[in-house]
Amino acid sequence: MGSSEPAVRIVVCAKEVPDPDAVNAYAVSGRLTIGEDGKTIAQAAVPLLMNAYDEQAIEAVLRLRDAGHECSLTVVTVGTTRPEYLRKAGALGADEIVQIHHKAAHPDTLVVGTLLAAYIRSSGGADLVLCGRQASDDDQGVVPAAVAEELSFPLVTMAREIRLVGRQLTVVRATPDGDETVECTLPAVVSVSSELGTPRMPTARDVIAARAKKPTLIDSAALGLDDRALAPRLILRSLVVPQKTGSCEFIEADSSANTARALVNRLRDLGLAIGSGASPSG
Amino acid sequence: MSTKKTVVACSLSMREARSESAQEVLTAARLLAEPLGASLTWLVVGDAGDDLGEIGGRFGAGSVEVLRQRGDTLPGEEALVAALAAAFEQERPQAVVFAQSFIARSVVPRVAARLRSPVLMNVLSAAASAGGAVSATASAFGGDTHARYDLVGDPPHFLSLLPRAVSPLPVAGLARPAQVVERELPAPAEGDRVRVVERPRLLGPRLEDATIVVSGGRGLGDPSRYQLIEALAEALGGVAAASRPLVDEGWVAASRQVGLTGTVVQPELYVAVGISGASQHMAGCSAARVIVAINNDEKAPIFRYARLGVVADAAGFLPALIDALKGR
Repeated sequence: MGSSEPAVRIVVCAKEVPDPDAVNAYAVSGRLTIGEDGKTIAQAAVPLLMNAYDEQAIEAVLRLRDAGHECSLTVVTVGTTRPEYLRKAGALGADEIVQIHHKAAHPDTLVVGTLLAAYIRSSGGADLVLCGRQASDDDQGVVPAAVAEELSFPLVTMAREIRLVGRQLTVVRATPDGDETVECTLPAVVSVSSELGTPRMPTARDVIAARAKKPTLIDSAALGLDDRALAPRLILRSLVVPQKTGSCEFIEADSSANTARALVNRLRDLGLAIGSGASPSG
Repeated sequence: MSTKKTVVACSLSMREARSESAQEVLTAARLLAEPLGASLTWLVVGDAGDDLGEIGGRFGAGSVEVLRQRGDTLPGEEALVAALAAAFEQERPQAVVFAQSFIARSVVPRVAARLRSPVLMNVLSAAASAGGAVSATASAFGGDTHARYDLVGDPPHFLSLLPRAVSPLPVAGLARPAQVVERELPAPAEGDRVRVVERPRLLGPRLEDATIVVSGGRGLGDPSRYQLIEALAEALGGVAAASRPLVDEGWVAASRQVGLTGTVVQPELYVAVGISGASQHMAGCSAARVIVAINNDEKAPIFRYARLGVVADAAGFLPALIDALKGR
């Protein structure tokens, strides 16, 4: 019983997604196809992994620990995931891993937010809820907002840096106009963006130790939510791969200098005001 | 016996209201309103603007409602969420269409979650049936796929429209200016729980306004070569930008990122150097009038989007291109 601050309870909401780089590799080579259900990617070779933005949310917690804050970390996910995925969260330092099972195979974003918030309420609340800015499969970014609204917490999106002094939270947000610094008092929901930087890898020892950490399984029916709260509001009908066919005019001459001159001439032919006079200030 | 149906196009700032993206949102909202038999309202957060009635009328809005901010400071996100949720809870429009922007990404899902109404971000197109059903297609997997959804449940149906997804389409014939109604933007009941202590300071011109953009990607190979991108941008009279890997690696500020998770640009000329052409990136620049790709891999997908292509290494070719532009 020292005079130190009580531990800050942090909950990170995480999702397992098909590897977006693998999906993109199939897409750029023109081999991406949709499965017979018309709603999922057909390629079985695409690995599943933790949404990269969610890993960065975990990294943000580890940095708070590095800065000397006593933080308990719970990683919570909705849906069935593979054991490896949950083990990684454990190896990275999660004290508790929670998996919420819900009857719908792919609950929509508002339902996921409602389930996550109900879990947080039922487990004694949280001081800080961190989410990735969006999941790299549906790209929606709605879950952080839904969790914040369900818990009546303020929301700060697009964090690249999170600092804590007592219960005072300072967040640097990556905006299109540059960094913005905001403050609020805990509790809060913060969504983390890729500008936070590369998340660390767990050590081999931590990976082995994490095998002993068993996830807590919760059925959504135990969260006391009524049918209205869990009614889907978005129904996925189909997924399609947009087609791209190009007609690029390649410019090639006997030297770099001549290719460059030919390119500049083509740009001027196209009526583009390039070079002198068009320069904006700055 | 039925109350009057409305569809709302919503612009979150005066700057946005006067931009092309507002015209895109007005167009998308009108195309939803027509089959629903609904009237179109344009809700604008900002100060009074005499020109808004004319713009609104041209794009089919029956009325323009201005939620007037206090003074010249933009309202915080908490205030916006509270004001919009209150307005839509009262009026319950059939659908509300926003232009997706940094602030919309934060505000729109919160308003929808507060009202427990359906919401879809990254919308490329939307349609409604006379029966009131709304469906929409959104970009997913960084643009590698398009996902079609039905929005179900209590209106309003909230849609956040990607920039350049819809072409502005004024109403046919002579349009009457819409009537403009103003009211004060209410302050949030609980005060603003999030305080801005340091506003962003944009260095250089805004990327989304640039008419010429030069972007560098991972193919540059070395951070020092980004100077060539800046030099080429200067020689062309444009703005330097980057694809996401360079921002993630810390070579370039996040404010310079073009792509689905960065800025969507629509310049006259977009020069992509050492950029492979991942969908995530192309979602941010494919609306450029002319795309020029410079890449040493002739199979790079960027050439499928480009009008003009040069298969060359940036380090060798860019100095020659800069010289050619300077007439050397």
